[in-house]
Amino acid sequence: MKKTINYRFVFLIIISGFFLSINVQNLYAQETKKNTIRLKADYIKTMNKEIAFNLRASSKVDGSNIDVANIELTVFNEYNDDSVKLGSTITDSEGKSTFVVNDLNLIKPDSTGLYNILVSFKGNDAYKRASKSVTYKDATIEAKIITKDSVNYITATLKDTATDSVLSDQILNVQVQRLFRPLRIGPEFNSTDESGTIIVPIEEGIPGVDGMLTFEVVLKDNDDYGTVKAQVTAALGTPVVDESTFDERTMWSPRNKTPLFLLIVPNLITLGIWGIIIYLILNLVKIKKS
Amino acid sequence: MKNYDTLLNDLAPQKFGRKGVIWTTLLVVVSIAGIIAYIDQVIQGQVVTNMSDYALWGVYISNFVFFVATSFVSTITVAVLRLTKNAWRTPIVRIAEIISVAAIIMAGLTIMIDMGRPDRLLYLFIYGRMQSPIIWDVIIIPTFMAIALLLLYFPLLPDFALLKKHFKNTKPKLSKWYGLLSLNWTGSDAQKSIHIKSIHLISLLIIPAGFMLQTVDAWLFSTLFRVGWDSTNMGAYFISGAAVAGIGALITVLYVIRRSYNLENYITDFHFDKLGKFLALTCLIYLYFNINEYLIPEFTSKKEEITHLNVLVTGEYAPLFWFVIVGGLVIPIIVLFFKKGRSPLAIFWVSILVVLGSWWKRYLIVTPTLLHPFLPIQGVPEAWRHYFPSLHEWLITAATLAMCLLIITILVRYLPVIPIQRTADEQEQLKTGKNLES
Repeated sequence: MKKTINYRFVFLIIISGFFLSINVQNLYAQETKKNTIRLKADYIKTMNKEIAFNLRASSKVDGSNIDVANIELTVFNEYNDDSVKLGSTITDSEGKSTFVVNDLNLIKPDSTGLYNILVSFKGNDAYKRASKSVTYKDATIEAKIITKDSVNYITATLKDTATDSVLSDQILNVQVQRLFRPLRIGPEFNSTDESGTIIVPIEEGIPGVDGMLTFEVVLKDNDDYGTVKAQVTAALGTPVVDESTFDERTMWSPRNKTPLFLLIVPNLITLGIWGIIIYLILNLVKIKKS
Repeated sequence: MKNYDTLLNDLAPQKFGRKGVIWTTLLVVVSIAGIIAYIDQVIQGQVVTNMSDYALWGVYISNFVFFVATSFVSTITVAVLRLTKNAWRTPIVRIAEIISVAAIIMAGLTIMIDMGRPDRLLYLFIYGRMQSPIIWDVIIIPTFMAIALLLLYFPLLPDFALLKKHFKNTKPKLSKWYGLLSLNWTGSDAQKSIHIKSIHLISLLIIPAGFMLQTVDAWLFSTLFRVGWDSTNMGAYFISGAAVAGIGALITVLYVIRRSYNLENYITDFHFDKLGKFLALTCLIYLYFNINEYLIPEFTSKKEEITHLNVLVTGEYAPLFWFVIVGGLVIPIIVLFFKKGRSPLAIFWVSILVVLGSWWKRYLIVTPTLLHPFLPIQGVPEAWRHYFPSLHEWLITAATLAMCLLIITILVRYLPVIPIQRTADEQEQLKTGKNLES
């Protein structure tokens, strides 16, 4: 007897299963406890170059702090009841990201001259929404190199941009850019005088490529002004002699740059010995024929 | 008139007796076991060995160095004795040439066994850098192999012609093979002239080639900045060590062949006495280089050198170290100083001791240095600080040694182990008082 399939019944079962599975997923989603994200934002201004916000996202999960990677953070400029989106960035594996604004005039101050930045995370399945505000005043550092009695100095003046007034009794760091971390020069603390200025002698003999050195004068992590940096590049260093042997024929270079004596001598010896071996084999042929 | 009949009866290759068959079967069985282990190593990878990130060279490399050293025997006993016109060399040269060929073939194979991917051997030729001593090794091993084969083959030509005639009626097939190999040798003046010139040239050629082979082998180690290897002494140290290993192996094989084929009339006590003195001399030279190699670092007492020396002299490797120095060098030298110590049986046992000492010496050169790197890896497993070969490594190593002995056994079976023509010529010379040309 031929079996007949009740198609309507099968269809109902499949559809019921489909809806049930959606429900189950929803139930699980509702049960998941979301964690709170802590956002950190540091403002860094480099004169005549850029403004950067160093962002970091972390969270306390099961009693331990973890870095929150791969989340999108949106940066807004808030002024006069407006909120203008500057852009967004995604955190790396260490929960860090740097948001860079290349146009220094893009960020607008409010009516009191304060700059307000809001960093926002809209939330996802694992983390609740979060935001962080950064408020700062704009400061300017003007740095230049001067020479007095054959000694080079770096001098810098710190000003509040909004009021165009100099800032005295502020600590400025003077340093030279290096590959891994900057090299501090001058006294440990350089406090600006009543004219908002510091002056630091430049030591001789600091190595630099072609003698070029990039000096930095930094107002670091100031409560009002954040981090402000001015850079001056000058040929005051001792030129670094390029000791790279990359283009030379050395014992450690690849095969296409083998030293010539190592190509000539061993190959001559090898060819010489094999020449004699071939001569001896030919002698065997001669013996056979003679 | 030369008494060829007696010589051919005594010296022509003979069938194996019962002992010979058992010996050959044993070698074949060990070789097969090693081949199976090697196939497993290729399939599973070098995880089957006990080598690690520390001991990245193990028993394979020490075995390779031993084979290279043993192959040096033809350079010293054939070439040097020939060029210095030592007539007593005649009954021993063929055996030395055979050992040399077998050892260098197995050296070439052993280095491949050490490679995780043997199919990548070709890369050494395609991508090799001339700055690397490994490439020099890749060049010198086939070169030495070719010279060693020619050194074995050339002096065989007159003997092949004699054997062709000798087996013409009794073993026609074998006679045909000997005929082919004899290259129509008739002993004409033209043939003799080319023959003598060629042998002289090979004897001259194999000396620098042998020295290059040993030196390159030494430079594989000494060009690396590692304790125990970083030494300007290494080239000479390896050459003198190779002379010890080679002569030790030669005397051992010589004694076995003399007994198996009843060659007491040809390989006499006089030959063992001479070889005994030669071995004593090489052992003394090698002992001198050993003193240089260990005493100077002890005096200068650099921290890492002292660590290395302590491991050898009083530490984990002390039993092996003292066996190698005392058993492999000092005792043989003392025994060989006495005439009775140079009698065939005594010198045979001394040579066994020397060969064993030589093999373990290579193990001591390779392994302990690797276990003490200048920049130790953090948190390495304790097992990495020690090395002893795995079952796979022992099986494969035993197989390479068995294959070397198998090559010697097969060559001894089909080649006259003592040059027949030359012996006949020497007998003629004794009768007539004429000097031999070669």
